[in-house]
Amino acid sequence: MLFLTTLQGSPVVGKGDEPIGTLSDIVVRIGDDEFPPISGIIVRDRRREFFIPVAQLQQLNGVARLNSSLVDLQRFRRRDGEVILGRDVLDHQIIDITGRRIVRVNDIQLTPLESAYRVIGVDISPQALVRRLGPRRLAERIVGRQLISWSDVQYLASAAPVQLKVSYDRLSEINPVDLARIVDALSLRESAEIVAALDDETAAETLEEVSDERLADLLEDMDQERAADILEEMTPSAAADALEDMDDEISKQILARMDPEEAADVQELLAYDEDSVGRIMSTDFVAIGEGSTVADALTLLRQLEEAPDPLLALYVVAFNAPDAPAMQGIRHLDRDDGPPPSLRGIVRLRSLLLADPATAMTTIMDDEVPTVHPEDPAEHAARVLAEYNLLAVPVLDDDQHMLGIVTVDEALAVLLPEVWQRRHARSFV
Amino acid sequence: MITTEKPQNTRIETPPRRARSLRRRIWPYLLALGPGLLAASAGNDAGGIATYASAGAAYGYGLLWAMVIVTVCVGVVQEMSARLGAVTGKGFSDLARENFTLRTTAFLLLTLFVANLGIIVSEFVGIAAAAELFGISRYIAVPVAAVLLWLLITRGSYANMEKIFLVLTLGFLSYIAAAVLAKPDWGAVLAQTVRPTPHFDVGYLQILIALIGTTISPYMQLYVQSSVVEKGVTMDEYRYTRFDVVVGTILAGIVASFIIIATAATLFPRGVVIDTAQAAAQALEPVAGPYASLLFGLGLLGASLLAAGVLPLATTYVMSEALGFERGVSHSWEEAPIFMGLFTGLLAFGALLALIPGLPLFQVLVGVYVLNGVLLPIELFALINLVNNRELMGEHVNHPLYNVFVWTIAIVISLLSLSLIVITALGWFGIAL
Repeated sequence: MLFLTTLQGSPVVGKGDEPIGTLSDIVVRIGDDEFPPISGIIVRDRRREFFIPVAQLQQLNGVARLNSSLVDLQRFRRRDGEVILGRDVLDHQIIDITGRRIVRVNDIQLTPLESAYRVIGVDISPQALVRRLGPRRLAERIVGRQLISWSDVQYLASAAPVQLKVSYDRLSEINPVDLARIVDALSLRESAEIVAALDDETAAETLEEVSDERLADLLEDMDQERAADILEEMTPSAAADALEDMDDEISKQILARMDPEEAADVQELLAYDEDSVGRIMSTDFVAIGEGSTVADALTLLRQLEEAPDPLLALYVVAFNAPDAPAMQGIRHLDRDDGPPPSLRGIVRLRSLLLADPATAMTTIMDDEVPTVHPEDPAEHAARVLAEYNLLAVPVLDDDQHMLGIVTVDEALAVLLPEVWQRRHARSFV
Repeated sequence: MITTEKPQNTRIETPPRRARSLRRRIWPYLLALGPGLLAASAGNDAGGIATYASAGAAYGYGLLWAMVIVTVCVGVVQEMSARLGAVTGKGFSDLARENFTLRTTAFLLLTLFVANLGIIVSEFVGIAAAAELFGISRYIAVPVAAVLLWLLITRGSYANMEKIFLVLTLGFLSYIAAAVLAKPDWGAVLAQTVRPTPHFDVGYLQILIALIGTTISPYMQLYVQSSVVEKGVTMDEYRYTRFDVVVGTILAGIVASFIIIATAATLFPRGVVIDTAQAAAQALEPVAGPYASLLFGLGLLGASLLAAGVLPLATTYVMSEALGFERGVSHSWEEAPIFMGLFTGLLAFGALLALIPGLPLFQVLVGVYVLNGVLLPIELFALINLVNNRELMGEHVNHPLYNVFVWTIAIVISLLSLSLIVITALGWFGIAL
């Protein structure tokens, strides 16, 4: 097994064993390969550092031997796509994909594989640190390694000061909640790199879990078109919170770039106070006219382009829009369609499935349900949900028109103490 | 029919939008007041107070001019640390590990750890001394203080912790009151503040060095940087942080000057020589009245409590960062066992050691300041190196002119620190200058 820190400092000799210098560092190309091949070594002779391409390298183990005695003494210069292992990878943070955490590289493992020396893994054990600190002779006595295969780590391109084409496919194996924790714990530059690599949907899911300050910083710094795309994918209430935490000017510009319909939803929520029911409510619910039957309701649900998730209940309403047919169902409330409907009762999914298809919705609906007002404090909705053992509570305005629902998911986020929400260390001063 | 759960008239009124946007504009400044203020105040700890008090007692107003210069130096160094944290989003030990050799980093951390451990002990000694001024036994005060600090930091919310720490910094105002009670000659104070009057005897030089050493401590820089990082400050909001650093440094400088004024007005004319804050407080009583003495004691208590809370936390953060443990007081014991264990251990060790009867405390403290003297130049040059690293800082590296200034400061401070070490080392071999 070859390790970078044991190779560093080993002698470099020419074809006829004449000394050329000592190995100072190793250059690899990080690109499409699963295990990046080395492209050369940096050799130090007195105070001069020069690059020897891998083609001239005959052997690396113990003594680096070259296949010629002629070397180009041109001073080493960094090139795009090339990473210097000792400077840009060793001692830096990388993401352990299977462990879903950030680790620091204490040593780097190399091996000849498919006709080239390649980086195959990193050692994150504390023993590796002790080995590097102690005198060289004692190093072999210290045993214990904790190796992670290079195919299970995500290298952060921002650790190297050159342009790199790093593949971030592996990040998709981490679920958004864990990814959010990682994004929170990294520096802004590193977390921006990760978010930039995610598709809009994953980025939105991840950012919904990220701390407020980090979220605002990330969105302010990224391309506005991209920020708008991500915000469109987020739930309107999360998007509203994010926009409110941002610089006023930037948040206006981003809002203007968003899809008008999504932007209108978000702006509607922004009209409510930060900790109010209006802000956390979801306008995504299924309403059905009071004249419909169970069969109508089931048909309606199946015809929906995308049913709300979680789908907990159907809301039986009287439509107030002048041209609304009595039986039409809606999903997604739109202000342009006239005044919102008046709530008559709730049919839970369970009752709907168990009922005979011919039954009228009004006979199986529950009309003794608590409701909340959009300007109530959010905690009030949470308390109502807990007291009445509900999974969702409807939100009615002054005219008893139904505006949306607050689900237990959203209420839970309100109830949890702040310490829990900002799981990570970003709370120290 | 549908029941409305709550009567309509109890609905919470939403505040008007204008008030909210105003709150949003002032909020960043208020929120930012924290790291810089706390770090600079923590620099005026038990050791610092003792130094200022003895400087005033021995040389009257004669060292006030030096405080102006020292304050500017502190401000410059703190600003660089804060900027480094804001641009890179990383703590000092993170950056050290990524940019210096492992051995350099290990040496820095080990020295820092030992030096901080010593200072933590001195803070608990300060708490004990202050408590005894109020007639409370140290065997009660120190354990109670340690447990309260532990609970506050590990169990309380972060917001409360910062609030309580900020309230403790108010304790420093008591020095201003004590100085006023001491009825100084304000004309002389003003004159001595603006007109440098350097002497060249060894005692004067020694106290000048001690003044710099206790005011510019490595842990303050580390603290301000980690907290800027933990707070998630970026360059967009950096102006708030710079404001915080400047305000904090100036306040700390004013407080230190008032401690010098208090003892200069009372003890200096009578030729009373003191070397601890507690002795200063006791010596004040017959001259400036019991209130001055109590105010001095109160200030000492606040300062020691603040530093005894901030130091173990800062030390734990720095160690965890470099070694890669899970960090954060918001984690539970199970989630971050090493972090919590280290923090608890530091606090307990400091409290226990401070309670050992007959501990040769003075020698321990001298050893600690020598260690800090070794650490300070290394840390300063490491800081300047990092803050001028274009790969890290981009356009936010130091301006060339600023660099000239910074290098001068670093070299002067290093020479002074080194001479303190030499003087102390010679003292150990029985050679007095």
